[in-house]
Amino acid sequence: MKPPKFEYHAPTTLDEAVAALGRYGGDAKVLAGGQSLMPLLNFRLARPAALVDLNRVASLAYIREQDGQVRFGAMTRQRTIEFSPVVAQHLPLLKEATRWVGHLPIRTRGTIGGSIAHADPSAEYPAVLAALEGEVVARGAKGDRVIRAADLFQTYLTTNLAPDEILTEVRLPAMPAGVGYALEEFARRHGDFAIVGIAAMVVREGQRCTMARLATAGAGPVPVRLRAAEEILERDGLGEAAIDAAARKATELVDPDADIHASADYRRHLAGVLTKRALTRAIGVARG
Amino acid sequence: MGVDLPRLVGARVARREDPRLLTGQGSYVDDHRPARMLYAAFLRSPHAHARIARVDASAALALPGVAAALTGEDIARAAKPVRAESKTPSVKTTSFPPLALGKVRHVGEAVAMVAAESRYLAEDAVERIVVEYEPLPVVRNTDQALDPASAVLHEDAGTNLLVAREFARGDVDGALAGAALVVRERFRFHRHTPVCMENRGCLADYATGNQTLTLRSSAQCPGLVRDILSDLLGMPEHQVRVIATDVGGGFGAKASLYPEEIATCVMARRLGRPVKWIGDRREDLLSTTHAWDEIVEAELGVNRDGTIVGLRAQVTADIGAYSIYPWTAAIEPVQTISFLPGPYRVPTYRGRTRGVATNKAPLGPYRGVGRPPAVFVIEGLMDRAARRLRIDPTEIRLRNFIRDEDFPYKSPSGIVWDRSSFTGSLVKAREVLDYESAREEQARARAAGRWLGIGVASYVELTGIGSAIPVSPGMPLSTGTEAATIRLDPAGKVTAVFGVASHGQGLETTLAQIVADEVGVPIEDVRVLHGDTEVSPYGTGTYASRSLVLAGGAAILAGRAIRDKMRLIAGHLLEADPADLTLVDGRYAVRGMPDRSVAVRQIARAAYSGARQLPKGLEPGLEATKFYDPYYGTASNATHVAVVEVDRGTCEVKTLRYVVVEDCGRMVNPLIVDGQVHGGVAQGIGAALLEEIVYDDHGQLLSGTLMDYVVPSACEIPMLEVHHLETPSPVTLGGFRGMGEGGTIGAPAAIANAVADALAPLGIEVAELPVSPERLFRLIGRAEGAKR
Repeated sequence: MKPPKFEYHAPTTLDEAVAALGRYGGDAKVLAGGQSLMPLLNFRLARPAALVDLNRVASLAYIREQDGQVRFGAMTRQRTIEFSPVVAQHLPLLKEATRWVGHLPIRTRGTIGGSIAHADPSAEYPAVLAALEGEVVARGAKGDRVIRAADLFQTYLTTNLAPDEILTEVRLPAMPAGVGYALEEFARRHGDFAIVGIAAMVVREGQRCTMARLATAGAGPVPVRLRAAEEILERDGLGEAAIDAAARKATELVDPDADIHASADYRRHLAGVLTKRALTRAIGVARG
Repeated sequence: MGVDLPRLVGARVARREDPRLLTGQGSYVDDHRPARMLYAAFLRSPHAHARIARVDASAALALPGVAAALTGEDIARAAKPVRAESKTPSVKTTSFPPLALGKVRHVGEAVAMVAAESRYLAEDAVERIVVEYEPLPVVRNTDQALDPASAVLHEDAGTNLLVAREFARGDVDGALAGAALVVRERFRFHRHTPVCMENRGCLADYATGNQTLTLRSSAQCPGLVRDILSDLLGMPEHQVRVIATDVGGGFGAKASLYPEEIATCVMARRLGRPVKWIGDRREDLLSTTHAWDEIVEAELGVNRDGTIVGLRAQVTADIGAYSIYPWTAAIEPVQTISFLPGPYRVPTYRGRTRGVATNKAPLGPYRGVGRPPAVFVIEGLMDRAARRLRIDPTEIRLRNFIRDEDFPYKSPSGIVWDRSSFTGSLVKAREVLDYESAREEQARARAAGRWLGIGVASYVELTGIGSAIPVSPGMPLSTGTEAATIRLDPAGKVTAVFGVASHGQGLETTLAQIVADEVGVPIEDVRVLHGDTEVSPYGTGTYASRSLVLAGGAAILAGRAIRDKMRLIAGHLLEADPADLTLVDGRYAVRGMPDRSVAVRQIARAAYSGARQLPKGLEPGLEATKFYDPYYGTASNATHVAVVEVDRGTCEVKTLRYVVVEDCGRMVNPLIVDGQVHGGVAQGIGAALLEEIVYDDHGQLLSGTLMDYVVPSACEIPMLEVHHLETPSPVTLGGFRGMGEGGTIGAPAAIANAVADALAPLGIEVAELPVSPERLFRLIGRAEGAKR
């Protein structure tokens, strides 16, 4: 398990990184935290001509509040996010999701930009990006481009980032005060990728629900927004019957694949179970 | 005879090897980088079954930095083929070439080997080797393999049925026909693999000057590997040295000879340079022996009161592509059927077993060998019978256990159980759990709609096997002895050398405890050496829960010989009758006259200082080598109780409590016994709930990474409540019984029974392990569908 030969670039500025990437016409890979890319290289499943390592690009690691958003430099480590007071205050769903990301050593190296650009549909961050309707910024030779979550994920491990583009920033709208949220996930072993995960957010006014968000991990080739289930809650409120109806709807909205851990039927079943659990917990912590 | 030193046997002595191992000061294969060393990599078959038309390594050899490449034919010219012979006529012997010869029989089989200046280069070179395969029909499973129309893996055997054995006692057909109740089930215990922390690896160095071969290997059995390598390579045994000092886990999977060991030796001998191969995790999952993988169709007949009248079973094991050396393909299927009757009085029995070749990695020993499936089956049947008869599962076991007055008890397959605590362990486990309260809590949980279950599993295993019984049935090799060499040097310090090898069991501590007690010195003065054939007395290695029994027994004998001689010398130095001496405070003193004494160190010096210091005619020196053979071996037993809850939504099984009451006879070190139980139970819970080797219909391994082959982490293992009974073995020196495997033997059955108990209201039985959430989802779905 040793990678084949590749060229290695370790630029210190974003411009250098974009230029280096551009020279390979799609045959180079961007190295962020390396928690997914390094195994792929070692298995010789990825065989890029070059790696462009972002770890020395200091300007890509930050957490900033701006225009009602929290903006993360792509190289911000998951471990930093886990303990960020800004995240705790404005993005408690992201904080909760971070606890589900791998194990401590993985979060210490892993980055928010790397996790989202890798686009593993079982990962937690893509689901959160979808649930919060966040966006990402990509920098290419032609400059910056903002991509909405709904447009970013194409299929397994595939985004609409161009081969010469680097994901530089993740923008998540600050969650409203008093919002209810939860991330429920089922994996066979602590720290594994989700078999199915559900990110939920609800804004309540009494028993009324003014906004509901539900997004999946592990229930299809991309994170799935369960809009029709959200609508049930926004229409019928937050009572038990509405939760049950939303959970039932969730099972209809997902189209998961099977692997050796779980059949499509079981994943669909889990989508319902976890939707109910996530909503119940989210409603429990919601104020208003 | 007073000994003032505190007795160490029985004490919770902290493991002496741990500071070295935990601070990275160990000496594993990959820690060694001799000068001029080359790195090896293997080309492995992408096909499950194919003829090899051509192998062309020229492009690999053309790569700068590549020293050599070997193919199956190259190896065949340099080494004899491996053939695991059996004395059992119904066991067919087949060849296992170190590199595939003519055809490949499983995905991951080594086809060619490259040695290069770095592992990176070696892997680049391996990719350039061209192999033309002509795919053959893939034999996917045992059903297909036994079909007369099936492709045959080993043409010289003429059949895929490589093993067939039967054990019988009494008229089981008549007994079952007359039984008040017969419960039957088709049990499926899927394929597993041990996953050692240290992958397999080896480093071969051939010294052309004195024509000696040194192999460092991550192996459990350095002596056994030395013997067979010497035979295969045509080198005298005293010119072959095998070293396996620090080994990061073995669990049985490193007890066999592996193709890579032979190929690496051939490569090193050919090049006259050291060659190292370190298997990576992918290679480990593809090619380290797998385990268990059996279908057991079994029927248990009982009277109305639950007493057993007969047991009838057929085991079919998927032994994979090759019969492994030295254990043969018989080890798993024959052990399973041998141990099936468990700790019970089974008056009539017929057990048939088959080992069937398929296009998968070879099956080999793994912690428990045969017994995890056997216990899953018999304990599953006991629970089924109990449920049908409305008898408590602990009660039906108590009614059937071999009783104190029955020992020694000969089992239907011919194994003799010495005095054990079958009943005692179950009674104690009930007490520890507070069984009645646990049942009440279960009733409350059920009323609240929760799926809570209690599962019991009792087992007995044969450990410390001596020369009367082959460790693997039919194996022509006798492995029933081990030796200890104990040397007291002139400074009074002790070196104790063993042919067994420690790969995590803490033998450097436990054997030192025994030696210190027997010789009569503090443990700080004892150094234990093991795992190096050049320094150790003849022995095979560590496997089959034998090392503490056999090497411990040898240590007792050799230690006593040293102590007896010290006493004679002390008597001579003190001009006293040796029988009047006592050992106090590190000095031999004349009883009642503490001023007339001599220190151990002075005795030691005297022993090496010529005839005048010694009693007339006594040979100088203080060194003894003693061999020990426990002949039959001894029983170890335990009862495990698991309390689990099945999540009604996710179908996940959570283990809430786990109680073990085990009896390994006299304990040398309860701390180490606890550790062995913990590790064993963790592997057993993994086998019950998480771990499964999965092949697709083309014989491709789907569980080829540790993302897909799910071993439990600390988070998945509950706090374990381990309790001990100490029934000293009546048949071994020291009263020791082996105990390295038991945790894994009991846990799958206890968990399976607990899950079935939790789901009893739905009428669900657990007949397939691991009982994954996916399987439970389907079982529950079917049961609830049937109710509606």
